[in-house]
Amino acid sequence: MQIAIDTGGTFTDCVYLSNGRLEVLKLPSTPANPAEAVLQAVSQISAGEPAEVRHGTTVATNALLERKGARAAFVTTTGFEDTLDIGRQARPKLYDLFFAKDPPLAPAELRFGIKERISSDGVVLQAIEEPDLRRLIESIRAQRPESIAISLLFAFANPIHERALAAALRPLGVPISLSHEILPEFREYERGSTVLINAYLAPKMQSYLDHLDRRLQSQASTLNVMQSSGGIIPASIAAREPVRTILSGPAGGVVGALAVARAAGFPRILAFDMGGTSTDVALVETATGLRATSEFQIMGMPVAVPVLDIHTVGAGGGSIASFDRGGALKVGPESAGADPGPLCYGRGEMPTVTDANLLLGRLDPHRFLGGAMHLDLERAREYFARTKGPLATVEQFAEGILRLADSRMEKALRRISVEQGHDPRDFVLLSFGGAGPLHACALARALSIPKVLVPNHPGALSAYGILVSDTVRDYSRTVMLSPDDASIARCVAELARNRDGDVALSSLDVRYRGQGYELNVPWTPDFVESFHRLHQQRYGYADRARPVEVVNVRVRMVSINEPVEPPRETLRPGDGSHALVRSTPAGRLYSREKLHAGDRFSGPALIVEYSAATFVPEGAVVSLDEFANLVIEV
Amino acid sequence: MMPDPIELAIFESSFHSIAEEMGIALRRAAFSPNIKERRDYSSAVFDATGNVIAMGDDMPVHLGSMPMSVRAALDKLRLARGDVAILNDPYDGGTHLPDITLVMPVFAEPAAPAAAFYVANRAHHADVGGAYPGSMGLCREIFQEGIRIPPLKLVEAGELNRCLLALILNNVRTPREREGDLTAQLGACRIGVERLAQLIAKYGLARVATNADALLDRSEALMRSELERLPAAEFSGEDYLDNDGINPDPVRICVRIAPDPAHRAIQFDFTGSAPQVDGSLNAVYAITYSAVFYVLRCLLPPEAVPSAGLMRPVKLIAPPGTIVNARPPAAVAGGNVETSQRIVDALLRALSKALPDRIPAGSSGTMNNLTIGGFDPRTGESFAYYETIAGGAGARPNSPGVSGVHTHMTNSLNTPVEALEYAYPFRVRQYSYRRHSGGKGRFDGGDGIVREIELLTDAQITLLSDRRVFAPYGLMGGSDAAKGRAALDGVELPGKCNVQARSGSLLRLETPGGGGWGLPVVDPPTES
Repeated sequence: MQIAIDTGGTFTDCVYLSNGRLEVLKLPSTPANPAEAVLQAVSQISAGEPAEVRHGTTVATNALLERKGARAAFVTTTGFEDTLDIGRQARPKLYDLFFAKDPPLAPAELRFGIKERISSDGVVLQAIEEPDLRRLIESIRAQRPESIAISLLFAFANPIHERALAAALRPLGVPISLSHEILPEFREYERGSTVLINAYLAPKMQSYLDHLDRRLQSQASTLNVMQSSGGIIPASIAAREPVRTILSGPAGGVVGALAVARAAGFPRILAFDMGGTSTDVALVETATGLRATSEFQIMGMPVAVPVLDIHTVGAGGGSIASFDRGGALKVGPESAGADPGPLCYGRGEMPTVTDANLLLGRLDPHRFLGGAMHLDLERAREYFARTKGPLATVEQFAEGILRLADSRMEKALRRISVEQGHDPRDFVLLSFGGAGPLHACALARALSIPKVLVPNHPGALSAYGILVSDTVRDYSRTVMLSPDDASIARCVAELARNRDGDVALSSLDVRYRGQGYELNVPWTPDFVESFHRLHQQRYGYADRARPVEVVNVRVRMVSINEPVEPPRETLRPGDGSHALVRSTPAGRLYSREKLHAGDRFSGPALIVEYSAATFVPEGAVVSLDEFANLVIEV
Repeated sequence: MMPDPIELAIFESSFHSIAEEMGIALRRAAFSPNIKERRDYSSAVFDATGNVIAMGDDMPVHLGSMPMSVRAALDKLRLARGDVAILNDPYDGGTHLPDITLVMPVFAEPAAPAAAFYVANRAHHADVGGAYPGSMGLCREIFQEGIRIPPLKLVEAGELNRCLLALILNNVRTPREREGDLTAQLGACRIGVERLAQLIAKYGLARVATNADALLDRSEALMRSELERLPAAEFSGEDYLDNDGINPDPVRICVRIAPDPAHRAIQFDFTGSAPQVDGSLNAVYAITYSAVFYVLRCLLPPEAVPSAGLMRPVKLIAPPGTIVNARPPAAVAGGNVETSQRIVDALLRALSKALPDRIPAGSSGTMNNLTIGGFDPRTGESFAYYETIAGGAGARPNSPGVSGVHTHMTNSLNTPVEALEYAYPFRVRQYSYRRHSGGKGRFDGGDGIVREIELLTDAQITLLSDRRVFAPYGLMGGSDAAKGRAALDGVELPGKCNVQARSGSLLRLETPGGGGWGLPVVDPPTES
């Protein structure tokens, strides 16, 4: 059996199939050692049966965010040891005389140069000298690194020197990350950063996954890991290339959203995952499937391996509201988090988005987390009255907070849709995460999105996505060729030779000769024309007379996972009254668990379930489709 | 009437997104390394009278000067629907010739008599003709610096003016690249116009315009609340450019700042600054205005919108015919990149007396402009490479300066070594920090950078840099930083020069660090 387990900040969500039925299990997370909750879940679910465990992990993400990775050495061509710290030599904030730069993952004493040089076309201009190599090994050894990253100039054009260094450094007995293996693409800073992040994470990820894998093997189970690109890899590869897992969980959310959209028959969706401190959004088209970017950044550091095109903003249920000196209200990015939490949790001192939702009747104080937690409405009201600034009423203040939080999320949604040349009116807003369904209808209206979809178990969609993911390996190489060059086909064949998948999806990064950014198009006979069309769509013009060049070749090897058929119910027309909890002047309150496929009613209404609440405003109509998704026409 | 604070925030974010989106479209579709890799461009949204409402987070030196481009276009042309104005004349809305600006009007409805908004973007083109490849060389007159374009319609009623385009392209060294960049700029303008039209369609013109006004007022209110807190006294500061590249004399820039907290206003007076110079270091008024705008913006909280409202309480005196307000036909290529930095240095020096705990020591103070032009044997075409090289940032009253980073009036990116070697007949030999080049102090200044380039073909090198004579200053007892230097095959080069170099030559640049802040802490003597 397959079990998908997604580690979150508060809960570890598990989704699995039992006798063809999709089951959900939520356990408290064990942050000190996330493996404990995973192992507990597996033993509880599989009861000794062999299982294929698919894991969405935050080990890599947290090690980076908390800067608790390994002591990693960075080796590059002599003269370029500082490239990694100089970055693109720009400052992060334009008008801040006190701007700071995060220290690099490898400080100066852990950055090493080796005299060597390879040209852009792969010719060895300067070979590595034996004495230099010996000196390098000694100086690295003296620093006692726990991991080593090697990224030489133009190593992707000819890896001979990186291989020689790796062979010479292997006796040090620490993991070695090589740039021509992890990311054989040009732009030395972005590549170096990616390889160093990998080295920084490798020891921690290795010991975490090894431990988990050993324990699971003793139960005859296997371990796989979700990548940021939305595909599964075996734990052994994830341990070697942990940089591929930094958005493991959120990627599961996008895959889950895609699966729900396909089943429900919506070809184009905007996935909207709102949690306590941040919101992740992604544009998904069922025809094209998952879209990855190579320009992702984390804490200002580039990560150039494929990461699903997920845009994150610092706005969530815990985001704090305040007035600035110019008199404007602002919300976030500071968050009250889970500790002290919003005012209504009893200890926070600052108004938050969750409090605003509560004050406007969009949360039921007695049914939060299935009634496990009571929300203090009066406390929130008192604080709001004190901090409402020039606004007349507490309600106006609360509405203002929601509108502003919505506008930040709207901006995020706009960024991935309108700004990429997509019209939101062609999309369905698929909303999940604890807080998403509360805001979805307002956002849909602001962006003229006609429909909102709230799937079953909106809190466990990431785990569901991990369950249904395919196994995926990504290969790439910078080639810099003209489009009619026969070497392109040769390179595609070479990259596909790895045969670690059933299907090879080949694509090319193409640009007009002389441009600095590429567009990715499928490798087809008329890929040049596809490029012109895409360029027109993205940047407002195309020039068919201008020469085009192929920058990178990409091959994605995919093994399709057995499809999971979501349970289907027969439609039974109804008005939802059987699930009505009570009516208030603000609207009716329904229990989601009691609604069935075919129910249809109009807002204002609040639909509560264990891990989320959905707000349906006046004028919107909600109906349950055969998968018991809430489909709301706003 | 108080504006609705919520709606205001929403519009602020909408206008800002439009400016940002134009910038992204421009960067991704452009051909010049200056634009695509280095991001030497700006995009902005203006109201019907040409006040800037929102700018992308791009180049500070363009901040105050973009509105003057729009102003010039409006004064000279009647921009109708589907028109796009082009200009680069520093004496008519521009800054220096490589910066080409496009301005496009936004009409609320087809029959509207006047534009409701304008969008504009400016990009630094790698070559606009003139005496030297890259158009940044030492000249004595603007006529030698490249093609000079007054405000003209590049597009009229949706039709590209091919004659004008042909004239421009005939006067530059890399016409194909220029055409690509201008097309990218046009594409970005259209995207901006489309987004504003959508905003107007959604909220109605009246509401959008009211909120644009309110944004200007809000910036003004933020600025005034800051000015209220300044001491009521006069503060002066001065600094020097090494020379103008032609005459050996230092060039003085001085400013007297007179805050008027009672009226929540402030005056900047540059009287006493040197007369305009023979070389191309002259700054036009727009540059000086931008430098003042930048410094004031740095004093405000991060959420302040850099809109035209910030400058309402500000009076600026820059006597015509001086280095800070040059008159034609003075050459100006370096005013934008070098003199602008020195104006900021003088301003910050003056402010450090008023706000000693909020002002850092001098930063590298030069953009180290390097241009290399020639013929690329690999492609059979000419090339023009332009890059600015970062230096050290000045130490702050509470922290050391950052190393190897662009400061103040620029924030352009470097060209990746691997991208550069694909694109040009060069080999980069070194790119690293220049250790110990930051000034010492309680907090040390940041280190500068070393960049070594080997030429693989004969080429002409133009260097436009400063801080070879006057070092970036330390403050409150901190020491000055190391000055910059440059050498070709080991032979020292002047800070500003044009030289012909042979294939195989090695050019080495060492950029200045940042000044130190405060007296160095001396370890107490250990008791014996």
